[in-house]
Amino acid sequence: MSYQAEISRDNPTCFLFVIDQSGSMDEKTESGRSKAQFVADVLNRTIYTLITNCSKADGVRNYFDLGVISYGGSGVGTGFGGTLSGGIIHPINAIGDKPLRVEERLRKVDDGAGGIVEQKTKFPVWFDPTSSGGTPMRAALTKTLEVIADWCDAHRGSYPPTVLHVTDGQSSDGAPEDVATGLRQISTDDGESLLFNLHVTVGGGEEIVFPTSDSGLNDEYSRMLFRMSSSLPGHLAKFAGDKGYSITDGARGFIFNGDPKCIVDFFEIGTRPKLVADR
Amino acid sequence: MKGKSSLPPAFTVPKVEGQRNEDRYQRSSKGVFALSDGASISFDSAAWARILVRRFAQEPEFSREWLSAAIAEFGKLHDRESLPWMQQASFDKGSFASLLGVRILDENRLIQVLAIGDSLAVLCDGDRIKCTFPYSTALQFEQSPQLLCTNLAENAFLNNADRSDELYADWTFGGLEQPALLCMTDALGQWLLSWKEPDQSAIAILRNIRTQGEFARFVRTERKAGRLRRDDTTLIALWVAP
Repeated sequence: MSYQAEISRDNPTCFLFVIDQSGSMDEKTESGRSKAQFVADVLNRTIYTLITNCSKADGVRNYFDLGVISYGGSGVGTGFGGTLSGGIIHPINAIGDKPLRVEERLRKVDDGAGGIVEQKTKFPVWFDPTSSGGTPMRAALTKTLEVIADWCDAHRGSYPPTVLHVTDGQSSDGAPEDVATGLRQISTDDGESLLFNLHVTVGGGEEIVFPTSDSGLNDEYSRMLFRMSSSLPGHLAKFAGDKGYSITDGARGFIFNGDPKCIVDFFEIGTRPKLVADR
Repeated sequence: MKGKSSLPPAFTVPKVEGQRNEDRYQRSSKGVFALSDGASISFDSAAWARILVRRFAQEPEFSREWLSAAIAEFGKLHDRESLPWMQQASFDKGSFASLLGVRILDENRLIQVLAIGDSLAVLCDGDRIKCTFPYSTALQFEQSPQLLCTNLAENAFLNNADRSDELYADWTFGGLEQPALLCMTDALGQWLLSWKEPDQSAIAILRNIRTQGEFARFVRTERKAGRLRRDDTTLIALWVAP
């Protein structure tokens, strides 16, 4: 059976975020923040959570390798800056050690006596919002395929990589479907790589979340994104169901017209490894 | 019990040989036993589990104040402000552990079991299981258990007044011909409640384990056979002399 490998320091898995930074990502959401800003916030929060889940008193355990590929007006490349910009995928402890900066934020916490107090908290930032130019999605997924292929060659026994692709538009450098098909066929001994696609919008309209068919999708572009998406493995389908989504057998890791809540849930569900489920 | 001063045997094996075992247990000569399974995915669960079992063995009256004192003791182990961001975040999120506490009172007539989380207490008569607590089926181990946490907000589930009765079971050795009380962490509990061999009793297998070496061999064998999940695995076994 696929997707059963235990995730451990000897057998880490890989999460690769592929982020659209084209010009249209500067459109404002209802909160006043741009789509790019919102996605950057959620990505920073997701990386923060993944690292926190691996952190113990004696250090950060390398259960995951993590990468970010961004694409837009300046082409395709690593989404990391600073000392991490030399590569696309890094072990999670290296990412924890090298954020772009660590901000200090205040948060409210229970004081243990029925009250609330403000507490200073360190919050790292790895990824700043950017938005310009076209949408070279085909080139981005081609780069993703190359990176994933190398990773799988080096980690035959591991739970396969999960790619979370976030976009708000149509590819401007050709249809990427055949590349996505190739990407999903790259495998470890534990199964094929997973590609989940999230289409974000600010325009309202009906959301289509984890569908089993393309029957509710109105245009060829959305139907292609559906076809490009992997089915949710059982443990992720269960987690999505626990979060209140209606999940049936064969549900794809695909959200179309997703609102901000969908973006948060997409990242949380997509990066929910069995490791965390096992506490 | 043969005598109040004799402690029941206890054995423990880590998830992976050579790695830190986050199960902790404590036995007192006053008939109090405590077992705690520290959750791997949390900041310093072994230290939290150690505090819980030591405090329970010393003062087996669980209450909100008891828990607050335990959390305060844990807080003194680490200087939050000096921690790097990722460890500060993990510290704030909290350390999680189960607590299974047993008190044997009134010359064996009353056994009071406190269970928070997925560690399992088992009352036996000979090779037969009389009752188990807090779970009664293997499937229940697939749920995410509610655990005691060093982050107060994570213990809100204890505030529900209806829950307090659910945390306790009262048993007795009275009327049992060959009584035994077993306390075990979740992997072994799931193994026990999954046992389906009609010709061999799972309790009899555990009864034959007399040394740490025999327990380690048993764990290796059952893991290899795919019957025992790979996890820190601990057993406290009180076999009462007839």
